[in-house]
Amino acid sequence: MKKLNWSLLIIILVFLFLLGPLLILFFSSFGETLTFPPRNLTIAWYPKVIGMRFFREAFKTSLILGFGSTLAALFLGIPAAYALTRFSFIGKSVIENVFTSPLIVPALVIGFSLLRFFVQFGNFPILLGLFLGHTVLLFPYTVRVTSASLKNFDFQIEEAAISLGAPPLKSFFYMVLPNIRVGVLSAFILSFATSFNNVPVSLMLTGPGMVMLPIQMLTYMEYYYDPSIAALSVLIMIFIVLITQITERLLGLSKYL
Amino acid sequence: MIGKLRVYRIWLLILPGFIFVCVLLFLPMAHIIIGSLKGEEGWTFSNYLRAFSKSAFQISYIRTLKLGTLITVLAIVIGYPTAYIVYRSKWKGVMMSLALIPLMTTAVVRTFAWFVVLGRNGLINQVLKSLGIIESSLKLLYTEGAIVVGLLQLFFPLMLFSLISSMENISTDIEEAARSLGATPLQAFFAITLPLSMDGMIIGSILVFAGSISAYTTPAILGGTRVLMLSTLLYQRAMTLMDWNGAMVIAVVMFLSTLIINWLLRRLRREMP
Amino acid sequence: MEYLELINLTFGYEKDKPVLNNFSLSVSKGDFFSILGPSGCGKTTIIRTIAGFLELRAGKIKLKGRDYTYMPPHNRNFGLVYQSYALFPHFTVFQNLAFGLKIRKLSEKEIHQKIISALILVNLKGLEKRYPGQLSGGQKQRVALARALVVEPDLLLLDEPLSNLDAKLRDTMRSELRRLQKEVGITTIYVTHDLVEALALSDKIVIINQGKPEQIGTPEVLFYNPKSLFVANFMGFQELARGRVIKMNERMVEMQVEDEVLKARRGAGVNVGSIAILVNRVGSFEYSGKQENKLKGRIISKIFQGDTALYFVSMGESLFRVEMPLGSALWKEEDTIVLGTDPNLCIAFPAEE
Repeated sequence: MKKLNWSLLIIILVFLFLLGPLLILFFSSFGETLTFPPRNLTIAWYPKVIGMRFFREAFKTSLILGFGSTLAALFLGIPAAYALTRFSFIGKSVIENVFTSPLIVPALVIGFSLLRFFVQFGNFPILLGLFLGHTVLLFPYTVRVTSASLKNFDFQIEEAAISLGAPPLKSFFYMVLPNIRVGVLSAFILSFATSFNNVPVSLMLTGPGMVMLPIQMLTYMEYYYDPSIAALSVLIMIFIVLITQITERLLGLSKYL
Repeated sequence: MIGKLRVYRIWLLILPGFIFVCVLLFLPMAHIIIGSLKGEEGWTFSNYLRAFSKSAFQISYIRTLKLGTLITVLAIVIGYPTAYIVYRSKWKGVMMSLALIPLMTTAVVRTFAWFVVLGRNGLINQVLKSLGIIESSLKLLYTEGAIVVGLLQLFFPLMLFSLISSMENISTDIEEAARSLGATPLQAFFAITLPLSMDGMIIGSILVFAGSISAYTTPAILGGTRVLMLSTLLYQRAMTLMDWNGAMVIAVVMFLSTLIINWLLRRLRREMP
Repeated sequence: MEYLELINLTFGYEKDKPVLNNFSLSVSKGDFFSILGPSGCGKTTIIRTIAGFLELRAGKIKLKGRDYTYMPPHNRNFGLVYQSYALFPHFTVFQNLAFGLKIRKLSEKEIHQKIISALILVNLKGLEKRYPGQLSGGQKQRVALARALVVEPDLLLLDEPLSNLDAKLRDTMRSELRRLQKEVGITTIYVTHDLVEALALSDKIVIINQGKPEQIGTPEVLFYNPKSLFVANFMGFQELARGRVIKMNERMVEMQVEDEVLKARRGAGVNVGSIAILVNRVGSFEYSGKQENKLKGRIISKIFQGDTALYFVSMGESLFRVEMPLGSALWKEEDTIVLGTDPNLCIAFPAEE
């Protein structure tokens, strides 16, 4: 019986370490000041934080940037993943390495190198720069996750369609794509979350007039120390969970199509 | 499919992504590498020499390696027993999902949570004060310890998953056979489970180490401008001090470090059965 | 007092679904005892319970009179041989065998001696330095066996050890196993679903049906005197016909099957007036009607088997198989034939509800 106590203790301590601070943050968002345990319970910080215009703007920007770069990454990544899993050809492993290389380079270095790169072109539009930077960051994820899904796909289904007379592009859209819906949606969620949460690349490539939510939070934290950030953090977590749930519902629906 | 047509089709699918990565990753990186090697009169290492001679650079470089190693070691030491317990537990799935949560939260949120715990009026200081152990608040934020704690929380799940995955590859029959031959569960762990999950430990270590030396947000928030790692130093040089040459040197050093680590990972993966 | 006693073992993974329910068994010293049954009947559960890896809900396990029920597996000194061999992949053959001996704190010299004798016993001398990855299936099997035997266990437990080998290797290993067991004299419990294997190897067999022992006996007893329809089916008896019991005495019964009256040995639970199933073996037929049981039927199909032919015969509602050596009077498909079978080779069991 002594062994059991040790195991339980270790597990409790480890998970306290991993999740504790987040829970503490959650609870302190309901206090008057940022302390734990929270004193003078109130939920006033929530509407207050939603009311702050700069946070709302930043949220919108992050949302647009997230969707935009995710779609671009999917647009580039899905054909690439298809080619990599369907065919074998010379230089395949080289291409695979090239596609995963953004994962190897530290995000800050990617951001910095892009900054120096864009500066050369004079007045490079900031939004475009951010868009391109995020897409590069997300590209390996879309390729990897879609490839994983395609590996479980029986390409003979596609071949059967072609042998029955369907042109290749049509059979891709009607045969392959629907069957890898799960993979594509997972890639979507993962990429979107990566873009939304990103700090280093956004930090490097941002400019006047453009603020992403994480960066706005960082700026706010430099000057203020109150539960609004805590409230905002909780809201963001709920948002991400919502997105995950919605996409899972879509997945559920797709089973009936 | 006819040979030429097939090749044509493959390249059509790959080219957009390929060009994209080349133009937006390789080109800028090359630009920086070249830029770091250029001085007033053409190719030179002077930028590197200048950077390396600065104590700020030396300190943050050593600190980055030191903390990266410390975090990795802690991840191993805490990770192994945790992985073993989770692996054999009924609630393995639940625990693994829970362990993923730090990875899924925004860096800012996750790190800010530590503020509330480690701050002057934070949880730890409050508890210590109320227990009478200390009189005035300890400075826990903006220290190397804070960075270690913050990054460990982020990367620990990577080590955990890596270990559990390699433990799952060990057939339970083998552990049982050891026990039937007379080994206590502890003896069976050290003689069988540990050696056979070595590869998981190595992969986990590499992931944790690479992540720790590349991270920006957590060291930035928990270390501030006084406790600099290579990543935060890079930011400072580039954005605050406008020292482009210095920044480029740092960028190249970081890039080469992660390159070497990834090469190691690939070598090791190939050698595994 | 028997060597190994399993008393009222009860075990289940879920609360209301017991895999073993009041299961009792005794094994004599030195016996090769097989646990035979279809997949999923609980045979592996029995072995794992004896080994100590599964906790019983109720019941006791006693060896040589000592209570082993709550003893942890590493103290039991039972040798376990797995279907998957479970060799330690990072140890050489020598190290695999040395593992149990090192734990028992034997001297280096003794360890070396014992390992060499064990390897000679299984015909693997010379392979000490190899790793499991470099061995063939049959070799791995023998290493697993040697590893279990080298620690001189009180009991040897084998869980379908030959299932992963190809047919020819299985035959060879089977006789090896028998020889080894007799030579070492160790009490062995062997789990299998293969009838031929169990018949060839065992001193005693227990047939398991859904966690319950249906019949225990020597291979001959089970083969000639199955006590229930389940055991008979498992032993390879086929259902010949169904009919109503019209007369019976201590040993034999008479049944009305369509227009004929057939005689058979009386199985347990048969009553006059009830429906019974007549079973026999496919090889126990004769061409002419010289035997007491005469059967008239039509040949549906014929399968050539080399030395013998297998005929599918239909008789009224029944369909049964007949195996005959290829010789005179070759039947063809669509033939109407008359067969005979000895009543002493037929058994009647009550038809299940």
